[in-house]
Amino acid sequence: MRSGSVVEAALRWQQRLSEGGFWAMVTVTVDGRSVKVREQAYVLEACRLAGADVPTLCHHEAVEPYGACRLCMVEVTRPEWGGHTRMVASCLYPVEDGLIVHTATEKVLDVRRVVIDLLLARCPNTPLVRQMARKLGVEETSYEKAAEPTDCILCGLCTRVCDAIGPAAISAVNRGIGREIAPPFKEPPPACIGCLACAEICPTGHIKYQTSDTSRTIWGKTFEMLRCSRCGRAYVTREQAAFFERTRGIPASYMGLCDSCKRKVLADTAAQLCVTR
Amino acid sequence: MIGQPCNDLRPLQEILDRYPREEAALIQVLQDVQRAYNYLPSDAIEKVAEGLGVPLARVYSVATFYKAFTLTPRGKTLVKVCLGTACHIRGAKQLVEEVERVAGIKPGETTPDRSLTLETVNCVGACAMAPVVIVGAKYHGGVKTADIRTILGSAASLAK
Amino acid sequence: MRIDSRAAFDAAVQAAKEKVTGRKRQVFVCCGTGCLANGSAAVAEAFAQQIAEKGLDVSLGLFLKRTGCHGFCQRGPLVVVQPEGVLYTRVRPLDVTEILDQTVANGHCVERLVYRDPSTKAPVPKYADIPFYANQTRVAMRNIGKVDPADIEDSLANGAYAGLVRALNDLSPDEVIAEVERAGLRGRGGAGFPTARKWRATAMAKGERKFVICNGDEGDPGAFKDRSILEGDPHSVIEGMVIGAYAVGAHEGFVYVRDEYPLAVVHLGVAIAQAREWGLLGKNILGTGFDFDIKVSRGGGAFVCGESSALMRSLEGKVGEPRAKYVHASERGLYDCPTVLNNVETWSDVSAILARGGDWFARWGTEKSKGTKAFSLVGKVKNTGLIELPMGMTLRRIIFDIGGGILKDRPFKAVQTGGPSGGCLPESCLDLPVDYEQLTAAGSMMGSGGMIVMDDRTCMVDVARYFLRFLVEESCGKCVPCREGLRQMLAIYDRILEGRGRPDDIGRIERLARGMKLGSLCELGKSAPNPVLSTLRYFRDEYVAHIERGECPAGMCRALTRYEIITEKCTGCHLCTRACPTGAIVGKPKQKHAIDQGKCISCGACYDVCRDDAIRFGGRGRPEVAAAAQ
Repeated sequence: MRSGSVVEAALRWQQRLSEGGFWAMVTVTVDGRSVKVREQAYVLEACRLAGADVPTLCHHEAVEPYGACRLCMVEVTRPEWGGHTRMVASCLYPVEDGLIVHTATEKVLDVRRVVIDLLLARCPNTPLVRQMARKLGVEETSYEKAAEPTDCILCGLCTRVCDAIGPAAISAVNRGIGREIAPPFKEPPPACIGCLACAEICPTGHIKYQTSDTSRTIWGKTFEMLRCSRCGRAYVTREQAAFFERTRGIPASYMGLCDSCKRKVLADTAAQLCVTR
Repeated sequence: MIGQPCNDLRPLQEILDRYPREEAALIQVLQDVQRAYNYLPSDAIEKVAEGLGVPLARVYSVATFYKAFTLTPRGKTLVKVCLGTACHIRGAKQLVEEVERVAGIKPGETTPDRSLTLETVNCVGACAMAPVVIVGAKYHGGVKTADIRTILGSAASLAK
Repeated sequence: MRIDSRAAFDAAVQAAKEKVTGRKRQVFVCCGTGCLANGSAAVAEAFAQQIAEKGLDVSLGLFLKRTGCHGFCQRGPLVVVQPEGVLYTRVRPLDVTEILDQTVANGHCVERLVYRDPSTKAPVPKYADIPFYANQTRVAMRNIGKVDPADIEDSLANGAYAGLVRALNDLSPDEVIAEVERAGLRGRGGAGFPTARKWRATAMAKGERKFVICNGDEGDPGAFKDRSILEGDPHSVIEGMVIGAYAVGAHEGFVYVRDEYPLAVVHLGVAIAQAREWGLLGKNILGTGFDFDIKVSRGGGAFVCGESSALMRSLEGKVGEPRAKYVHASERGLYDCPTVLNNVETWSDVSAILARGGDWFARWGTEKSKGTKAFSLVGKVKNTGLIELPMGMTLRRIIFDIGGGILKDRPFKAVQTGGPSGGCLPESCLDLPVDYEQLTAAGSMMGSGGMIVMDDRTCMVDVARYFLRFLVEESCGKCVPCREGLRQMLAIYDRILEGRGRPDDIGRIERLARGMKLGSLCELGKSAPNPVLSTLRYFRDEYVAHIERGECPAGMCRALTRYEIITEKCTGCHLCTRACPTGAIVGKPKQKHAIDQGKCISCGACYDVCRDDAIRFGGRGRPEVAAAAQ
């Protein structure tokens, strides 16, 4: 559900701001290309600015990086390291001035292939995984296919977004090979507000939900939809509105209008202000 | 996985009163709850989440991550066979199988009368005594297959 | 009792020493977990009872002390009688009367209870003469077995807190770090990171709030040195932590003890309370104005929490998931504050170093690995237990001189060091001096100090599988290479050990191992391939035998091994029948025996007890192959 063009636009905007001296910048070399990148960035951002194709699965601009999929690993070095290099997850390794990054060495490609090969064994029927595997040159998995294939790659994006902007309703349960994403006791999660952020951020479409004008069901829990007082469109659940009021002090009246009606009302109000002037 | 409530939360309140209301106390609180109830009841987990101000999903995540916690009641006596390297070298696998044969349960399981739970542990630090079997709080060292029946016999009577 | 000055400290130590020397005769009963498992509590009780009944505390000035682990666990319960310095082994409550009458009252030795040389059978009554102890250099374990961990005065009389007094009164924090640097101390938890460097980075880090942590999550199966130190001499650790806190500017400390060590938790609690009472911990320590206090935190049962970033998450009440260490804990650790995390043994070394000096510690060891190291020598070795040795001693000396050689004099096959992160070293490595660099170069690592000795009745492929099974259960599950990699690696090994290995399995294993080593998030995943790679390096022929011929050269893999009794050699002694757990051996005493293959589970118990070489093993249905190999 990620819009490539939105991300590209954001990155271009970021570049323009950085060129305008908005942030402190450092210079990093990626695959021989020199790029300027903001000081607080992680190496992945530098790689993208340099046009390097670094695959990711557990990364999303909306949440803090996690470093779980290991696909974004790159080899870094510095002139004073005397040839010694480090394999690091580019989503979490902070940029430094003078850092030298290689995104496609033998070691890097080995790791990427092993990772996607392992994921292919876990999720043999998942389109995104198969597509990535093919791109990395892995046609069939070398390992034992999961007895019960799943679409969940355990990237943790759903739990991370729920923790960051939601009620922390779901979590990673069990450890090791038994790990799975689930609500508490595998029952409909009491804290869930039906905002669908988890389903939207899920890269494989594993999280299923049904939604209509009147109701919405996700994680086995059913919610009542609120209708926009202006156009009648169903756009948030009652629980989501209550959550925003409870946690951010946003009054219920604000949630009474859907996003596009809010914009229209704002535009109308602005227009009226201009007229009265 | 599915929760089992205990329906008596009085001991839980005493436990919560011993700790500050913060996430850092979570594991210690859960250990005391595990000790008090012999497992982590679902209603206790909910009350701990409330009491410490930690989201329920996160408490559940912690409860299922650490081996010290179980979500279903354990037997009165816990029989732990150590599977540390030294014990493995000295035949711990055979001991587990003997317990399975004698008590009729596999590791992680509890006897139908709830007297015994069999568990395997990854090293208890008594490696020079390998192989080690712990019955309740009692450590048995240098255990041979033939000793298992005797060791368990005392556990069954402990449970009564 | 509260010590608020150096003079008061000296006076307290003086008083403590007089109290201790005033005890003319002493009996120490080891009450570490190992001896307790063997019934030492009852022995101590018996002593207490009889001493009271006979009034020996008055008439002979006899003092009974319950101490921590002496280390020679296999010979426990252990009792030491002073001032003779006699060590009694395998003491039963029934022996107590004799010990009191013979040794304590009359200075005579009870011969049947003393240690005997395994080869010559000569009795070696004195503790200090027994090779197991004589060859040791105890620094971290200096007071274990000597002091009662529940009596702070006993520790004070034996030098506790002298290092702290010196640090707080004579040295600046930088000078304390310099002393540790002179000692060349490296982390004793496994990685061997230079301690002074870690401290200096934390001292320089910006932050109001800093922490020092003691990692007592000793998870390596086969290692129990940290347990012994925490149970037997907790003050050495507490003192070390106060010194470290002073050096880096921390005022809060944690000791993280794994859940499986209940006695350590208790003894630490007692020691901390006493240290606070005496002004050695808490506010205004020793009247110097320095504040520092310690909380004990129990682990929840997770090997991964021995990893420093996972441990810190656990202290914060979270799941023990490690995180990227691109920014070190010295800058952002516990609660994102500058933190020093060191192992139990490291802290115990620190207190000794500050008392005796860095140069004193650096006398021992090799060029890059200074000082001493605690090892737990276990497995198929005659003298199993806990030992502390100077770095640089060879594996051969450790296993054969101190360890007394292989149990039942079977051939040595391998020694596993470093726990699940380490590797198996074969006979060709026996003359390796034990230090960080040498072990790593050979394909293993120092780790926590576990040394598991294996004889020819060990299948090396099975050993690798053992560690994989262990790690599969302990992986936190966050990253793909470790979680999915271990799962698949274990599946391959399970196939191989059941005789379903494929020709390309070794290549598959090696590729997967490389991916895990390069790609895993933390050291658990990165070092998980070490047992696999080291056994492939030194015991490749065993893999080939399993994969290509469906055979287990060691005769341990049940699916691949068939046991048979060689009728001509069988003497009908019936020992095998008694050892067999499934009643698969048919034969009456004095008659020829035979194995009923239908009932046999190939456990090898019969082979182990047969004294007539009358049992052989080989590939299923191919005993002639095994005969040729033997």
